[in-house]
Amino acid sequence: MKARKYRKDLTQALVFLIPMAFLAVFLLYPMFTTLIRAFMAPADDLAFHGFSLEGFKQFFTSRLYQKSLRNSFVVSISVTALTLLIGVPMGYFVARVKMPGKNLILSLGILPIIMPSFVGAFTWVILLGRNGIVRTFLNWLLGPLGVEVPSIYGMFGMILCMTLTYYPFVFQLSYGAFASANPLLEEAAMLMGAGKGRIMRTVTFPLILPSLGAAALLVFVRAIGNFGIPAVIGGDHYVLPTLIYFEVNGFWNINGASSIAVINVAITAFVLWLQKYVVSRHEYETISASRSEIKLHEGKGIRIIAMLYCLIILIVSLLPQITIIVMSFFEKWVGLFPEGFTLANYIRIPKYSSHELFNSFYLSILATVLCAVLGSIVAYITERKKPKGAALLDLAVMAPFILPGTVVSIALLSAFSGNSAIRLTGTYAIIIISYMIRRTPYVYRSVAASLTQLNPSLEEASTIAGATWFYTFRRVSVPLILPAIISGSILTLTTLLQELSTTILLYSGKTRTVPIQIYGAVQDGKLGAASALSVVLLVVVFFIVYGMNSRQGSKISNAFKMG
Amino acid sequence: MSENLTYDKVNKIFDVGGRNPVHALCDVSFTINSGELFCLLGPSGCGKTTLLRSTAGLETITSGKMLYGDVDISTIPPYKRNIGMVFQSFALYPHMNIFENVAYGLRVRKTPEAEVKRKVTEVMELVGLQDELKRNPSPTALSGGQQQRVAIARALVYSPDILLLDEPLANLDAKLRRYMRAEIRRIQKATNITTIFVTHDQEEAMAVGDRLAVLRKGVVEQIGTSDELYTQPQNSFVANFIGKMNFFKAEIENIDGASALARVKGTGFAETVDRSRIHGSFTKGSSALLGARPEQLIVSKALPQRPSLPGTVKIIQHLGQFVRYEVEMEGDAASAIFEIDMGGLVVDIKEGEKVNVSLKSSLASLYEAKEEA
Repeated sequence: MKARKYRKDLTQALVFLIPMAFLAVFLLYPMFTTLIRAFMAPADDLAFHGFSLEGFKQFFTSRLYQKSLRNSFVVSISVTALTLLIGVPMGYFVARVKMPGKNLILSLGILPIIMPSFVGAFTWVILLGRNGIVRTFLNWLLGPLGVEVPSIYGMFGMILCMTLTYYPFVFQLSYGAFASANPLLEEAAMLMGAGKGRIMRTVTFPLILPSLGAAALLVFVRAIGNFGIPAVIGGDHYVLPTLIYFEVNGFWNINGASSIAVINVAITAFVLWLQKYVVSRHEYETISASRSEIKLHEGKGIRIIAMLYCLIILIVSLLPQITIIVMSFFEKWVGLFPEGFTLANYIRIPKYSSHELFNSFYLSILATVLCAVLGSIVAYITERKKPKGAALLDLAVMAPFILPGTVVSIALLSAFSGNSAIRLTGTYAIIIISYMIRRTPYVYRSVAASLTQLNPSLEEASTIAGATWFYTFRRVSVPLILPAIISGSILTLTTLLQELSTTILLYSGKTRTVPIQIYGAVQDGKLGAASALSVVLLVVVFFIVYGMNSRQGSKISNAFKMG
Repeated sequence: MSENLTYDKVNKIFDVGGRNPVHALCDVSFTINSGELFCLLGPSGCGKTTLLRSTAGLETITSGKMLYGDVDISTIPPYKRNIGMVFQSFALYPHMNIFENVAYGLRVRKTPEAEVKRKVTEVMELVGLQDELKRNPSPTALSGGQQQRVAIARALVYSPDILLLDEPLANLDAKLRRYMRAEIRRIQKATNITTIFVTHDQEEAMAVGDRLAVLRKGVVEQIGTSDELYTQPQNSFVANFIGKMNFFKAEIENIDGASALARVKGTGFAETVDRSRIHGSFTKGSSALLGARPEQLIVSKALPQRPSLPGTVKIIQHLGQFVRYEVEMEGDAASAIFEIDMGGLVVDIKEGEKVNVSLKSSLASLYEAKEEA
């Protein structure tokens, strides 16, 4: 060892500074401008002409605003309740009842969330639309009884579609909770003389409550932020995200849209707080590490009920996937059977959608790589450096996780359009930035969780062996968190390929993506073309997810968890 | 050749200026000799790990100096200090095989490939893993003891100036621990690198270390060889931490330059203590603790010749070479239950019975009462 002056190692500061600057400019600043604009009179430039509550007044004066708000509440709350009602028993059955093909049920049970939700919506139009096959059949069956199945357009359709799209969250998370709960705890209760019902009520249920809370929150947040389903089948039943689109697309009223966004976020934040408040009082640590094998129900009755239940739910929730594949090979499908077998829907893709395909892959892959870098570095900072304000940084990065896609778009538009210093409207950049802001939480959470598992002494050992910070970061930290980066990135990529709600407010002729193209085709009534494109998207996404699951064996549902 | 390592008034305060500042190290000053195997010993939270991590540079000290030879290392960044460290969890890299794990420090130093090979082979022979190196598996495929050896090899391969061992045996089972502590001593003596060994296990520290420092609440209580610490503990904390010490609550009845007479208040139990075993300053009438090791006390059913005090046997434990009697003393003679070790079973004493406790020889020591552990 020699005594001499040592220069400070600045690599670390540099590596940390860039993501911080990105977050400040593209996350915090837009959120700030949104908040400001929400209190400004309708106009499209960001200039302060004095406060105005015009945007918020609409919620008291405009019937459209009031109805949208009410619809949003009704839809989200019903969807949350229904998904719990459907998903929890299914999770329990698969975890605790002896039945064949559990892995298959788990894999099929995740499919609805890897398909773009608006694609699910337009296939339900085929099935339950005014002349939809299922509706026609059911009305023929139930007609004599005086019962008429409502058309898919409207509240009923939105709730149905969202429930079938989002129940996998509840199913997967409650399955995980039921399967990993320590059976010794239930056995202990049984030995102390508790009956089955009492055990369920006093031991099993309280222990899985945190998982159910997380699942319910996830569903609520997604339901209230969903744009695709109400846009396709909402008809004149507006909800907050479609109302935002209406304001921007119809009137380019970004200030008004900002007001709606603020209300939307306030509701989400309140529900998040409520969930934390309820769950935090019911969170337990496992006391003992020892556990025994879970005893499965083997009674014939319960096995048949469980199998039938799972089968029915799976078939109903997978109907859209089946329908869409069939539809993609036909010209039209009104009434009982599709008509006019054709391959034209596929043959036309290269001609009409090659630019959109390129855009989708280009934007998604680039954004994913950037998300991976950003998320990993921020996770490393909050977990390893633990600076003052780490909790705040965590909150800032995670915030977009609960923000509806339309809100993120509004924030970016409010900051970077009109007369603002940096104009990004219509560029590839604004879409990539919006993707990064929305999806960085996936990589961030995944890496942060992996870092908490990783003993810091692994990195300290490298420092002591003489490695600089950057050498340690490259040779020790990154290789060890790589699996987490990959699984977070895969999830990011698959969801970005189907992104609609953010893109719809930001795209221009130059930056159209496949989901935009599908949405357009649906609006034009070209269901065959929309189906063929959706099938292409579905196949790509399926292979990415399948590839990851078989390689890593990790459950994709874990990456959806928050906190 | 290693040099001396000197701590000069080292202070470490966590959360300086914060709401709950913690003074983890208070004016720590001592010297570790070149080539010495030095143990830092103390209960959890005593600051021993903080001192070790500060030496490595993983913590920055608040004030003071750490001198290696005559160079102050406290300002050198950790990756320039040329220190080897073995972590409690071993901190082996699961994404590298054992060769790459051991070679890590050499790769950082851009050592030529041939030399890397030679040095890794050499150090693996030293720790007794030459056969494993031929198979070169991932460290996760090794047993706990082998992982420990890889961790030691990795810390030694680049000939560090100082070797730091942070509770290196805590993750091993009892039998392996006893074996590995002899191995660590053998390897340390073979390389002659100045070594600091942190542990909370006094038996381990006494078995391994050339010298020991006992820490409590960030303060060095005593430094010495195992024998010095056991036979001449400087205060009641060290006395009761290095082995067990039973304390009578006593009062100084008489004191002069040569000895003191201590009596358990209101009883006939009094003992003259030689000056060499008086630790602290006393005056006539001040209260004191009269300490005796378990093997320095006797339990008996009949009233012994020497002065004795009554007590009740709570538990009798056979521990191989000796039998331990746990005795609750009557009245206010002691604050804790006594442990008394007898060479064999005393036939007529049963659990729950009254016995007499007396001193075997005049080897009891006096400690200041305020320092009672």
